[in-house]
Amino acid sequence: MLEIKDLHAAVDGKEILKGLTLSVGAGEVHAIMGPNGSGKSTLSYVLAGREGYEITSGTIRYNGEDLAGMSPDQRAARGIFLAMQYPVEIPGVTTLTFLKTALNAQRRARGEKEVDAVGVLRLVREKAKALQISEEMLKRALNVGFSGGEKKRLEILQMALFEPKLAILDETDSGLDIDALKLVADGVNALRRPDRAMLVITHYQRLLDYIVPDRVHVLSAGRIIKEGGKELAHELEAKGYAQIVKDAA
Amino acid sequence: MNALPNRRVEDWKYSDLRNAVDEVTVVAAPVAAWSVLSADGGVEIADLPEIAPRGTHGAMAETALARAKAGPYVRVPRGEAGAIHLALTEGGHGRAVIVVEEGASLFLRETVSARDFANVAADIVLGAHARLTHLRFAPANAVAQVADYAVRVAGGASYIAHFANFGGRLSRTELHIALEGEGAQAHLSGVAVLEGSHADVTTHVTHSVADTTSTQLFKYVAGGHGRGVYQGKVTVAPGADGSDSRQTAKGILLHDRAEINLKPELEILADDVKCAHGAAVGDLDADSLFYLRSRGIPQTEARALLMRAFLGDAVEAIADEAARADVWRAVEAALESLS
Repeated sequence: MLEIKDLHAAVDGKEILKGLTLSVGAGEVHAIMGPNGSGKSTLSYVLAGREGYEITSGTIRYNGEDLAGMSPDQRAARGIFLAMQYPVEIPGVTTLTFLKTALNAQRRARGEKEVDAVGVLRLVREKAKALQISEEMLKRALNVGFSGGEKKRLEILQMALFEPKLAILDETDSGLDIDALKLVADGVNALRRPDRAMLVITHYQRLLDYIVPDRVHVLSAGRIIKEGGKELAHELEAKGYAQIVKDAA
Repeated sequence: MNALPNRRVEDWKYSDLRNAVDEVTVVAAPVAAWSVLSADGGVEIADLPEIAPRGTHGAMAETALARAKAGPYVRVPRGEAGAIHLALTEGGHGRAVIVVEEGASLFLRETVSARDFANVAADIVLGAHARLTHLRFAPANAVAQVADYAVRVAGGASYIAHFANFGGRLSRTELHIALEGEGAQAHLSGVAVLEGSHADVTTHVTHSVADTTSTQLFKYVAGGHGRGVYQGKVTVAPGADGSDSRQTAKGILLHDRAEINLKPELEILADDVKCAHGAAVGDLDADSLFYLRSRGIPQTEARALLMRAFLGDAVEAIADEAARADVWRAVEAALESLS
């Protein structure tokens, strides 16, 4: 589903990703772990198509299509979803209005019929319940005054609503206490499907106790330096990044 | 007539009338014409009385007051309630007087449909515990228009006004508001969406006595060569203790040739007052734009959504539902044509 080959990417002219190669198949959950500054967030932004994150060489193919030159909204319509580390607050746009606008923009781009307000509300309600997102929250301005946990839950609600093919979770565990983490992880696990791939980006192994990955990749200085099964996450936790980086060198 | 106010005059610095209209046009301008689109309740409409109130006005109002001997005189008698919709249909020098007597209330809608030079001076007088809700709607045009309001607010009375501006060659709205009795309030809000046009709202609110309140919230979006100006001065007179004043003005620039000048100013001559002001001009937030686009919302739609959100609290200050919907429609149409 996702084939990244020798990817080099720069931000403000500074090269952050330096030859990253990664392959994720449908139905698989891959974890990308790495220390601060290794390029984890850059990878997520490059995949989502953020302006200013420039691919200098290498390729990203998604379901056979080259992602380069595709706008963030085109990627979203094709089924790429990025759950962000810091979801933005947008005063003046209610959460429900935002969800409806986004869902229908994606559907329109795919040539599907739009869902009316009642239909969106029904869909949202059905998915919000499991994530303990109240009606009152949906009526509030997008992410405004939401706690860290509420923001992350809303990201997962969006993932459930948009039904992406490839979900990238960028530091979804950051700022969550253990109860909130469990709730979010349950939400994510409920969305694991044979035709959906997930890329879970995290600094800590903790999240991977709840979202158990098929493969773990260690990112350091813009490249994957080590790969393994789920046990690699525990090895990292025990040894620390410095040791793994040293071992790999 | 004195020379036209121009950028050498401090409070016309960002709005050079001399560059927007020639003196011959101003001198030759006729008397402006109004029409009453609707009137309900206890509203009385008459011609200007011989002796009409004259509050503190700005530089252009002298000419309007001297030239325009006719104009609408709207009065709501004591304790009555009413609504009126006035349209300025033909430009020129104009004069209007609005009196809302003690305990009375009025919803005043004012639409500028004149497509030529206009210079209007209006006097608004609110009796004790009166309430005036005012919406001034100025669609985009290509000429110079000045409107100058002197508003006197008695004790316990409220003046609640919204100014929706879509700009012109030069559009200047001046408000000189005096809070003259205890408990008097003025709540001003406004939006401007400008594409290659100019809009200036200049306010001077004077808290003359104790326990008076004023709030101001102005939001501007400027694209192309658009230029938005907000100058807001608040004076708290000696002895006007317990006055409460807040001013917020914000702008979004969509183009590097667009310009927004925000100048809040405080002059406090009393003790124990609460005064706050804030002003900020910026671009659309890049993080917010990316967030919306990453959810599938295309660039143009995402930008419009953010601009609509930015203007939201100022438009939502309009209490009347139908009037608010009209302003939203105009704002959305203007946002769509922005570059």
